[in-house]
Amino acid sequence: MSAEKKDYLLVDENGQGKPDKPWIFRTYAGHTNAKASNELYRKNLSKGQTGLSIAFDLPTQCGYSSDHEVSRPEIGKVGVPINSLEDFRILFDQIPIEEMNTSMTINGTSMWLLSLYVALAEERGVPLEKLNGTTQNDLIKEYLARGTYIYPPKESMKIIVDMYEYSLHKIPKWNPSNICSYHLQEAGATPVQELSFALATAIAVLDAIKERNCFTADEFEQCVGRISFFVNAGIRFVEEMCKMRAFTEMWEEITKERYGVKTAKYRVFRYGVQVNSLGLTEEQPENNAWRILIESLGVTLSRNARCRALQLPAWNEALSLPRPWDQQWSLRLQQVLAYETDLLEYPDIFEGSKVIESKVKALKEEAKLEIQKIVDMGGALVAIENGYMKSQLVKSQTERLSKINSNELVIVGKNKWTDGIKSPLMTDSDGGIFKVDPKSAEQTLNVLAEAKTRRNAEAAKKSLADLKQAAKDGKNLMPFSIACAKALVTTGEWADALREVYGEYNPPTGVDGQKLFLSDDKVSTVRGKVEAFTKANGHRPKIVVGKPGLDGHSNGAEMIAVSAKHSGFDVIYSGIRLSPEEIVQSAVEENANVIGLSILSGSHKEIVKQLFDELTHYKAKIPVVIGGIIPESDFEELRAMGIREIFTPKDYDLMSIMEKIIDIITVEPVLV
Amino acid sequence: MIDTKESLSQLVSDALVGEKYPIAKIISKIETEKNLEFRESLFQELSHQKPNFKEGITIGITGTPGAGKSSLLGELCRLFLEFAPDKKMAIVAIDPSSNVSGGSILGDRTRVTLPRRDNRLYFRSQPSQLELGGLNPYTYHVIRFLRRIFDYVFVETVGIGQNEISVSLISDLSFLVMQPLGGDQVQFMKSGIMEVPEAFIINKCDEESLANSSYYMLQSTLEFIKDILPNQSLPPIFKTSVTKRKGIEELLQYILHYEKRKDKNAETLIQLTQWIRNEYGRWGISIWEELESSQWNRAVKRNPIGGIHKLKYEEEERKIVSSIQKKIK
Repeated sequence: MSAEKKDYLLVDENGQGKPDKPWIFRTYAGHTNAKASNELYRKNLSKGQTGLSIAFDLPTQCGYSSDHEVSRPEIGKVGVPINSLEDFRILFDQIPIEEMNTSMTINGTSMWLLSLYVALAEERGVPLEKLNGTTQNDLIKEYLARGTYIYPPKESMKIIVDMYEYSLHKIPKWNPSNICSYHLQEAGATPVQELSFALATAIAVLDAIKERNCFTADEFEQCVGRISFFVNAGIRFVEEMCKMRAFTEMWEEITKERYGVKTAKYRVFRYGVQVNSLGLTEEQPENNAWRILIESLGVTLSRNARCRALQLPAWNEALSLPRPWDQQWSLRLQQVLAYETDLLEYPDIFEGSKVIESKVKALKEEAKLEIQKIVDMGGALVAIENGYMKSQLVKSQTERLSKINSNELVIVGKNKWTDGIKSPLMTDSDGGIFKVDPKSAEQTLNVLAEAKTRRNAEAAKKSLADLKQAAKDGKNLMPFSIACAKALVTTGEWADALREVYGEYNPPTGVDGQKLFLSDDKVSTVRGKVEAFTKANGHRPKIVVGKPGLDGHSNGAEMIAVSAKHSGFDVIYSGIRLSPEEIVQSAVEENANVIGLSILSGSHKEIVKQLFDELTHYKAKIPVVIGGIIPESDFEELRAMGIREIFTPKDYDLMSIMEKIIDIITVEPVLV
Repeated sequence: MIDTKESLSQLVSDALVGEKYPIAKIISKIETEKNLEFRESLFQELSHQKPNFKEGITIGITGTPGAGKSSLLGELCRLFLEFAPDKKMAIVAIDPSSNVSGGSILGDRTRVTLPRRDNRLYFRSQPSQLELGGLNPYTYHVIRFLRRIFDYVFVETVGIGQNEISVSLISDLSFLVMQPLGGDQVQFMKSGIMEVPEAFIINKCDEESLANSSYYMLQSTLEFIKDILPNQSLPPIFKTSVTKRKGIEELLQYILHYEKRKDKNAETLIQLTQWIRNEYGRWGISIWEELESSQWNRAVKRNPIGGIHKLKYEEEERKIVSSIQKKIK
């Protein structure tokens, strides 16, 4: 008996009820070393995870081998270290890569990691057309928000186009790049900025591919179909859902109108999501679980804009890296949503909603204007180089923080209802947080050293020379990189070869000319203290804001720089990836009254030690304060090393931070 | 505080061998209000410890924001270390201050990658402290101090109009940095500053043809003002590109071989005469000549090393203008 067709149910061609397939469940994971990460992946897959999302450590992301001096404090901290093909062999041990959907969150060294993956597949005899997955490879957001770029914009774009050209012909199911607006929201982007900057980035990629003219018209359509996106979903979930609908519609329009894509399936906005970590709080961290659930709804509720893959942060991510148990909890949330609820059984439940429709329309209109602005400027690459996009983001972020500071934006447990019982989740013997065993780096270094001695040195040298020459000649670098991978070249060697040809990029910091929107009593108190300092010392207080190490999450440092200026400090801020030696040299030459460090990668102890050693070298006694994701259990040790004050995500009140800093240097003027 | 004779003498002797922290502390002291007394004892001490000093050359670098001055300086530093192994250089980079809080963000270091622990290079940022002229009230004294230690002192400022190029008044050799086809030339012509720098740099010459057309445009612009330039000859124009690493070595060689300390007095007189003629015609010139004995003229002629204190300059300029205007009315 054929059932009466019900508009509210999804059915198959026979009229039988057939819910949608769930999205791909991923957890962004990787730590310690290839072996430990391999074990973690195999455990996660056995728990019902359906795809891999690999987190790489910062040296791998920035193109340094583990044995480079800047790598030392960072090995295996925020992801898995990958030095050569040998590490990939260990990482994917007993994992059938031909059946996997592997997402690699890697940018500056994308081509290298894809080359390693290809080399591994060829070694295992897996046909390349079976490889399925994504290299993130969105350099624009790296320049704007995350900081793991290496080469200048133009050269980075060239590498991306090389990968599209190679992939389309050889690994057709691979997404060579993934336009990632995730970090833009983390850096404070409004929904309109997220829409416009991401789409402008996609336009820049496609324009560059068009310019190379390496595809036939059909191939170009397929190539457009390979563009995927990685988006953030924030707590204002209705607006976020509208943003996703706007994305879908705008991509359809852009691919049709700007690029003339005729095949409908290649115009589909394909996207994965990691929901927002920015709004997660260190205070009452258990509340984050609800935030994560609500944020997931924004990208799963509406069928017309449902994500293809989802990964969720852990409830305790504002405290440290998640433990395996925390990741399991995140995965279970997805499984409850997909399998227990009826979410997947219905067609689009918001179709026809006037509210949703007009909100989507409004977002689209604003985003179009912004895209036009960027295109008129000369496109996303120009808007990076001239600092436009960066300064827009820093502006949004200062506005957001100003609103939190003035309680205009309510954050439960942070600036409202702050009294609460301490969470029993935090009382486990490990203190509720995850720490990488500092000795685990040895294993990685051993594998690297062994790979270097075992390889054919001549072959490695030759493959690197070929790569360099190809870069100079403007050839497609993919085949040369794969040859390097097979010759057991290391991550650092590959990146250095191209650094030599392309140079390293140093983007605008975006903080120039920024101001806070704060003018309350606290601001006048702090300014009063600054004036008093200026009067007593004859010059303004000077702060060096330093962002040491490879951790490129610069929001905190930017906000402190802007706040210090707002308070009346003279601020020296030189962007990311500085060595402790460089920071101290700045502070010494500028005779700074205080150094403020921002570290989120968990390497604070190692870096602080290097910093104090360097201060000793110059016989300089400059007070040092530090901010970042720093577990309370490390406070005592840091203070013993000489750190004067420690700020964590709990300290969101910018003027209180500034007041503490001015108090420290007022008591102790640095001038001889 | 530096208050005893001994500690100043220690600080100065450490500074003279290039130690960074003592140099930094002395600069902070110079940048302190009401520092006349300190300055006097500082320079006394310097002359005492290093009596036969040869002063370093001051190089002014100015131009519109975004012309890539800092990146250019960064590349200059790199090459300097390579090509001038027995010389030392310092950089003073001036950034604008906020007029709300008085604070500032000094971002110029960002563009300059400095080797670590190398005493041949010293970088110092300075907020402009809301002064017109693009200079900090203490810039001149800081440079005067640095010139005792370093062979070259670079001063980088943002300059967009006549008021913002005071840097040329305190430097021996000043460059105006422009972008290719930036339209800067016309703006600069309007603001009358083409005659001020000794040399020009078209930076960001990443593309040959664009660079060349800008070069010729600038050259023909300069032809217009040739007659008021020293020796009536065209100043050199450098085409540089930081990304392509082009033209910077030539620029550095020019700086390293620059011997001539310019005759500030003569030059200022030429420019001032020209300016008065433009503004007030021959009538103005005649009044200017009557003022021959004015304080301003005496100050210019008296100045032995060519550095004119900016405040003095403006103050005197104002006096001349008002006396001319009084007469013309």
